[in-house]
Amino acid sequence: MAIRILINLARFAVTYVVATVVVFLFMRLIPGDPAQIALGVNATPELLEQTRREFGTDRPLIVQYFEWFGGLLTGDFGTSYVTHNDISPLVIDRVQVSLILVLTAMVVALLVAIPLGTWAAVKHRNFSGVVIGLGSQVGVAIPGFLAGILLVIVFAVGLGWLPANGWTAPAEDFGDFIRRLILPVVALASVQGAILTRYVRSAVLEVMSEDYLRTARAKGLSKNGALLKHGLRNAAIPVITVTGVQIAALIIGAVVIERVFVIPGLGSMLLDAVGNRDMLTVQSVVMVLVAITLILNLVVDILYTIIDPRLRRSA
Amino acid sequence: MMRRRNAILPAAALAAAAALGLSACSAGADSGSGGDSGGDKPTTATIALTGTPTNLDFTTTAGSAIPQALMSNVYEGLVELDQEGEIQPLLATDWTISDDRTTYTFTLQDGVTFSNGDEFTADDVKFSFDRVKTDWVSSLKAKMDVVDSVEVTSPTEVVVKLSKPSNAWLFSLATPVGAIFSEDAVDDLANTAVGTGPYAVEKWTPNESLVFETRDDYWGEAPGVEEVTLKYFADANATTNALQTGDVDAIANLQAPELLSSFESDDAYTVTTGTSSGEVSLSLNNQAAPFDDVRVRQAVLYALDKQAILDTAWNGYGSLVATYATPTDPYYEDLNDKYPYDPEKAKDLLKEAGQENLDISFTVPTRPYAQAVSEIVVSQLADVGINATIESAEFPAVWLDKVFTQHDYQMTTVLAVEARDILTVFNDPNYYIGYDNSKIAPIAEKADAADEEGYVDGMKQVAEQIVDDAASGVLFLFPNITVSKAGLQGMPENAIIEALDLTNLSWK
Amino acid sequence: MTTQQVPTPPSQAPRTTAISAPGNASTSAAPRPGKRRLSTTLIIGIILIGLVAIAAIVSFIWTPYDPTQAMPADRLEGSSLAHLMGTDRYGRDVFSAMLYGARITLFVGVISVGIAIIVGTPLGILAGIRGGWIEEVIMRTSDIALAFPALLLAIMFSAVFGASTLTAMVAIGIATIPGFARVARSGTLQVMTTEYVLAARAASQSRFRIAVRHVLPNIIGMVVVQSSVSFALAVLAEAGLSFLGLGTPPPTPSWGRMLQESQQFLGTEPMLAVWPGLAIAIAVMGFNLLGDGLRDRFDPKLNGSRG
Repeated sequence: MAIRILINLARFAVTYVVATVVVFLFMRLIPGDPAQIALGVNATPELLEQTRREFGTDRPLIVQYFEWFGGLLTGDFGTSYVTHNDISPLVIDRVQVSLILVLTAMVVALLVAIPLGTWAAVKHRNFSGVVIGLGSQVGVAIPGFLAGILLVIVFAVGLGWLPANGWTAPAEDFGDFIRRLILPVVALASVQGAILTRYVRSAVLEVMSEDYLRTARAKGLSKNGALLKHGLRNAAIPVITVTGVQIAALIIGAVVIERVFVIPGLGSMLLDAVGNRDMLTVQSVVMVLVAITLILNLVVDILYTIIDPRLRRSA
Repeated sequence: MMRRRNAILPAAALAAAAALGLSACSAGADSGSGGDSGGDKPTTATIALTGTPTNLDFTTTAGSAIPQALMSNVYEGLVELDQEGEIQPLLATDWTISDDRTTYTFTLQDGVTFSNGDEFTADDVKFSFDRVKTDWVSSLKAKMDVVDSVEVTSPTEVVVKLSKPSNAWLFSLATPVGAIFSEDAVDDLANTAVGTGPYAVEKWTPNESLVFETRDDYWGEAPGVEEVTLKYFADANATTNALQTGDVDAIANLQAPELLSSFESDDAYTVTTGTSSGEVSLSLNNQAAPFDDVRVRQAVLYALDKQAILDTAWNGYGSLVATYATPTDPYYEDLNDKYPYDPEKAKDLLKEAGQENLDISFTVPTRPYAQAVSEIVVSQLADVGINATIESAEFPAVWLDKVFTQHDYQMTTVLAVEARDILTVFNDPNYYIGYDNSKIAPIAEKADAADEEGYVDGMKQVAEQIVDDAASGVLFLFPNITVSKAGLQGMPENAIIEALDLTNLSWK
Repeated sequence: MTTQQVPTPPSQAPRTTAISAPGNASTSAAPRPGKRRLSTTLIIGIILIGLVAIAAIVSFIWTPYDPTQAMPADRLEGSSLAHLMGTDRYGRDVFSAMLYGARITLFVGVISVGIAIIVGTPLGILAGIRGGWIEEVIMRTSDIALAFPALLLAIMFSAVFGASTLTAMVAIGIATIPGFARVARSGTLQVMTTEYVLAARAASQSRFRIAVRHVLPNIIGMVVVQSSVSFALAVLAEAGLSFLGLGTPPPTPSWGRMLQESQQFLGTEPMLAVWPGLAIAIAVMGFNLLGDGLRDRFDPKLNGSRG
């Protein structure tokens, strides 16, 4: 098991390094000279030259790459050409916002999906099971931003129960933080909940058809007892996978919800930086996103190793 | 210009004012200690805006978002514009102009300090004006080219010599190039803004918000609120949602007129639709085919039903103008009749030019107004046989690079917000429109050097010539739509220069 | 990063089907004896996709109006005989735009999923057949690609190449490749252990021949299921990109952008949002149900042949 985890760590490191090279080179394809963009249209050639020196964009690519890569390792992403601010503290702020938003939404989604999905599987021939199945189909088919817009129209603008948008840091005013968190979390969780419900349902269905469950029942355990004792661990595996995948996808995928609810998350930061051609910020945010994705994959893998005894041997 | 008077002057501010010799100062900021005579009147205001400044330095960063936030509020010039577009004294109490109209002698306001505590003197004026030439990289800096020398004759008097008479120069002092900086506070303009205005920047969160606090030691009359937050939104829908749920108190320059209906019928809100200096242009590349042919340009102008464009794209808010001269400019003349909507004439002109079934590209910046006008313009052009293909260009980065810098476009639209910009746009063949200015250049030069009357006459001729040559179109003059809570007063109705003047804000 | 090696019942590894879930939806997924017949899921799925497909085909032949023709005098009208779904802010016929939008939706789906099939499937088969360092390189590359979801790629591409239908399709396509590679690989690994492949290898048939003769026919069902599910994801992704202004540029009608443009009118003309919202939901549900239904038929575990 330890070896498997070590292999995973090594793969993580290699993947990440390759990704930095890909992103760095890709960013050089973006048209426009950062100095020219920063200075605007009436810049003199001398000033351009001087600004390129300041930015360091006049040096060989390889030097620029290693400086940036070194910065990534130490958590120093450099200073933005556009905002003239240090990028790292801003990114850290935004990562916190994104993680709070996405993790809360996923927890809510799981709290909804596990009982609903299990119920839908156990009662898959009953009316209630069919209704849940249908509901989850509809839920995954609705674009997240549409759900968000509708929630704002109904609960914020219409009923006035909750703020329409904006973000308050929890340390600043916890009550307000919660009030502003509710609608975006509901918007994300309704779609994610539908997705997870389908996974839970099919995972439980699958487990119910497994031989060992029949054996367990033959041994005298009740249906529910057998399910609880043996089924859940096996059903958990695909659910954990998909939860990990969805969290990773949502860190950037939540950008549409961030836009609807004016939440200063990583996705919005990326869009703003792209709009301003703030390339250093773009590549830093992209690498943070990639790192989060890869770390989540790593965590999911390690969880597997722990949950599934078969894998302890087979790796 | 009178600023709102605030009744209470805190002792600390009074002492500070006395120490600094602010005898002229009759007001200070309310300390917000709770002893406010207004009782439960709010002391803060939050204003929603779209279009975020990337940093706080308009001397090196293009775009109107930074001056919109900082001019009048944090930075002040020697003069300012009132809501009618007239020049009024600000940091200069008065000025005299020599007979040859090349020497300006400004008498400065006494007892003014910067928000960092530095005293404002004639040296700061010289420093700021000289610095435009040496350190600014914005395209606006050209406005100071006419300045020959700036001389400090006493701490409260400064003499500016121009190389030639210029009517436009004094006006430009009310715009960002006229902003007065403190010599000690220009090292990190991107993150700190130190001016003589009534507000000081309390907190700046890039892409999110800018918080102003009133200064206790402001030389003039303090604003009626203590703290103003400018909150930046990515789109207009979010701003109206925020206003309806009470998160913001007003929306400045609303970019989605279709959203107004719910506010107009509600007494809890005040809606004003003022005018602005922003023209939604239909810019044609005069130096490249097919728009190097005046007939083709004219055909485009005849083909457009501008009232229909205004009605569909902007719900009828705004007004129609023929070129970059607006009703708040002294030289404005209604030239709308030059190109009435006449698709037949457009077709004839195209035929004459041998350009039937013309294919063109239409570069559209990613801004709400541009997206809104683009589809209706394309549809109207199609009616006369011009097949325009929309090419989206991210604004500002791609648009500036492609259109503005490389002139790689045929037709585009952009909101030109700068005030009195007709010469900037047309009197320079190297500007992106590429208009051949040989006819207007001599008239413009004479007008700038002439007296007031001659200036107005000359500029009228310039505008007419530009319209005759169909140099480019203006689809409509952008309305300045403001929605505020009924209790909040003092939001500026018009947007004549880039500044969003928040100094008159108060709660009823 | 080896989650793909984990046996993940039911159906294929969930990470390949990030949004569309495994298992059928409303009908039974439990072992079901008897003959394969069209399940309700499959029928509903086919009907929904049929609606979208018909709309798209009709748009080639006929639309009531030119979907880009603005008629300012008729703007923001409600449903009527002249305009079945009313008109938008420019006086354009919404019904015509909806028909045309179906074409764009299917186009984006076909191209992006096509890219993913053409690139992903052979790579997956190659990895499964060859194993060793080739497999390692392919699957690690796939891991890297997985770290770039469609939205992230689309944002990056739009920065470099500008936002367009093409960049959106390519971004969605690339982001969808790893899913196909994984499905193809895991399918191949299963097939490679079957007796007839072992026999073929013993008879020293070439790997290419084995791939074409034995592997491909056996995994084609899984690829079809994956395609259907990916199609649903592509439709949603295009809508999201259009909402952010990174999708199909105007004036070409696109359901996602129609939805985005309707935002201003939610208070006054809510139907402008209802039509495209409904259309997107129909398309996504259609492909998801189709995928579920097909999985029931193709997946030996779930179609009752076991047990």
